[in-house]
Amino acid sequence: MAEGKDPLRYFRIEARELIDQISAGVLDLDQRAGPEPVARLLRAAHTLKGAARVVKQKEIADRAHSFEDVLVPHRTGETPLPAEEMRELLRLNDEIAAYVAALERPPEAPPPVPASPGSASPGSVPEPVDTPTHRAATQDLDDLLDAIGETNARMAPLRAGCATFDRLQRSAEQVAEQLRLGRGTATGPARAAAERLAGQLGSAGRRFTDAVDQIERELDDVRAKAEGLRLVPVGSMFTAMRRAVRDAADGEGRRVRFAARGAGIRMGAHLLGPVSGAFLHVVRNAVVHGIEPEDVRLTAGKPAEGTITVEVERRGRYAVFRCVDDGRGFDLDALRRTAEARGLLPPGGPPPDIDELLGLVLQGGISTSPSVTEVSGRGIGMDAVREVAAQLQGEVSVRTTPGQGTTVELVIPLALLAMTGLIVEAAGTVATLPLDAVRACVRLSAEEAAAAAAGGRLIHEDSAAPFLPLAEVLYAGSVVPDAPAIGAAVVVNSDGGVFAVGVDRLAGTCALVARPLPDLAPASAVIGSVAVDADGNPRLVLDPQGLADEVFRSDTGGVRGAAAAPAAPLPILVVDDSLTTRMLERSILESAGYEVDLAASGEEGLDKARARDYGLFLTDIDMPGIDGFTFVARTRADPRLAGVPAIMVSSRASAADRDRGREAGASAYVVKGEFDQEQLLAHIRRLVVRS
Amino acid sequence: MIRVSVAERVAQLRDDFDRSFAEPARVFDSDSVELLAIRAGERPYAVRLAQSSGVHPDRPVTALPTTVGALLGVAGFAGTVVPVYDLAALLGHPIPQRPRWLLLTTGAPPLALAFHELDRHLRVPVADVLDGVTDDDGVRRGSLRGVVRLPDGNRPIVDVPAIRVLVHQLAGHRPVTEENR
Repeated sequence: MAEGKDPLRYFRIEARELIDQISAGVLDLDQRAGPEPVARLLRAAHTLKGAARVVKQKEIADRAHSFEDVLVPHRTGETPLPAEEMRELLRLNDEIAAYVAALERPPEAPPPVPASPGSASPGSVPEPVDTPTHRAATQDLDDLLDAIGETNARMAPLRAGCATFDRLQRSAEQVAEQLRLGRGTATGPARAAAERLAGQLGSAGRRFTDAVDQIERELDDVRAKAEGLRLVPVGSMFTAMRRAVRDAADGEGRRVRFAARGAGIRMGAHLLGPVSGAFLHVVRNAVVHGIEPEDVRLTAGKPAEGTITVEVERRGRYAVFRCVDDGRGFDLDALRRTAEARGLLPPGGPPPDIDELLGLVLQGGISTSPSVTEVSGRGIGMDAVREVAAQLQGEVSVRTTPGQGTTVELVIPLALLAMTGLIVEAAGTVATLPLDAVRACVRLSAEEAAAAAAGGRLIHEDSAAPFLPLAEVLYAGSVVPDAPAIGAAVVVNSDGGVFAVGVDRLAGTCALVARPLPDLAPASAVIGSVAVDADGNPRLVLDPQGLADEVFRSDTGGVRGAAAAPAAPLPILVVDDSLTTRMLERSILESAGYEVDLAASGEEGLDKARARDYGLFLTDIDMPGIDGFTFVARTRADPRLAGVPAIMVSSRASAADRDRGREAGASAYVVKGEFDQEQLLAHIRRLVVRS
Repeated sequence: MIRVSVAERVAQLRDDFDRSFAEPARVFDSDSVELLAIRAGERPYAVRLAQSSGVHPDRPVTALPTTVGALLGVAGFAGTVVPVYDLAALLGHPIPQRPRWLLLTTGAPPLALAFHELDRHLRVPVADVLDGVTDDDGVRRGSLRGVVRLPDGNRPIVDVPAIRVLVHQLAGHRPVTEENR
């Protein structure tokens, strides 16, 4: 059937949206009566009725009409709908949903009559019908993203073409220029031709470059949108859960309120589908086995209405799904008896503690036994969650307090996650921080930055937050390029409190899709994940929690960094032919807590360097015998010494000498004339190898 | 008896013709070996072309804070993020210069090896490749396998699967299985 001839094409989309609104609205109304939710439902039902009539879907239109009939008397009232009417709304909702779902199948298939209309069996939960669709869509999106990546790669020759145009234009200009200066005869026409050629090449090049730029921008836009599509908002699974809670509560005659948090978080449909399925069991079990009857709750001093909360949150590169109820908790005695009866616990042994019992439940040791399922329940739910955890490489944990409730928590690693990142630069490296963890950004003057780096503290909002230059974290254990000064601090929230990292500059925000680091790339815990930028290059995404651990760890002693650092730095070798300089440097380094060895020449330095493990070389340049450049170059060439960073300290201030130092392999270059104790110590703290 | 019609023959010829473009012109005959002559840490080596799936110059490598010295960082290849290791460091003789070339290896998970210079592409008779483990001085034992005899001197051949095993160990990855060898 041609798409244009399919009269239901748009109705399907609209009906799906309306039925989603109606399903959520009915559950809203169930928890919070009032004119406002009634009005919203009436609007949706009315729109659906009208649309269904237009496309001659009488079954749907009739049910939407009946739905309105139930609601109309409650337009103004604040009182909750009678249970009977509520059930009728749910029944109609299910029937309409079933008809709409039938329309979404191939049009030749006759719409099946919804199963058992009129008896909305409590406890039966509509399975999420859209799971296979999600999966297919994910596959399509993967293909699409591959194609976009491929297209992007094909842009490379075009980009090179821009540069070629540029070069050709310059060559033509040079030819014209040479012809203008040339003494030869008859250059006039040739010169004019060369100038014309240069002009034409210039304008053609500009048009070409503009076109390429535009295509690149649009391609990047498409890529960002496609990546975003791959992720589904968590909120999409809450409606089914609310319904499950509602039906189970109805069946058991309990009063239960359902609360959900974290609806806006987006993650891959391949994760959400299975988790959603397992959590349907969990919430249902929480109602059936957890929430007590009203009178029991009141006697226990609890509110008559039980509460089940499903929370979803992102914790670094993990997603946490949590179901919390305020019910009676696990029946630990019954669990213990069954465990003993089944020989899982030694009968004469010490009484098992709660964790041990819960461990047995989680391992499936006693979850499948019908007797236990009857007594304490959770069997099927736990099995489902355990399976999902295994499938997604996650972990399940259960906490229960008798009389106060149970918490089931599932933590799964995220493959892909959309977030907004704050782009920061530190010592030549660009990284991103999840913006939702950022509390503030503060511009720092050179003095403020130096004070914060030296003291390890940043005063922010009248309190002193632990502070660490980001470069120290990013270059841990490797060579740091000569860094520009810290120009800003990013104040970050973490579980352990507020902390700050110093960066050279803030470079805006961007939308990104973070993915886990590849296998074979073990990285420090400060790196949470990696994203791919518009050019296809990886960009690091920092993990606020990992950063926090690092900052708080180096903050243990509080003041004057180096001595308080976790691992003791290896000794430093000072190579300088001037006795005064050697002694000055030694006193600076020793008072900062470093052990220092001295060498008076490059040759002595090499001998000493090979005789002991050093954490850093600090060398002069101009010395009799081999100079500092040679000393550094020789140590770089020796595999055993190449890993020890070298800093050059010299009165030579020219850029050429700095370049030579860098070429020889020096990690930093400090000019004696501008000698600044704090700057030198900052370099050393950043570079020194620790034992 | 099978009779081959003209149409079938034409189809066959067309298929062969098309396939000759689709398939990499890798092995012309079993008597020769294709190698890349490279330099890593200023020393000459050869790599078997069959053990690589691509060579890329000047691709940006994003540095990672890590305790694995030979891990230079990660690079992007068609939307995939691939770890990059310094071949000279893996062979035990690192130099400060950043390697310019990346060689994507065959096998899984994705792995790229960085080296400093690409000298040329070679096709040599099998007889010129002397199998047998070499043990160049200072070079980590077992990372090389055989040498290739060339007019300008012998080049040790880098054993990419063995390098992969080494990387897996450094990265704490589970031991490599047979399929990658």
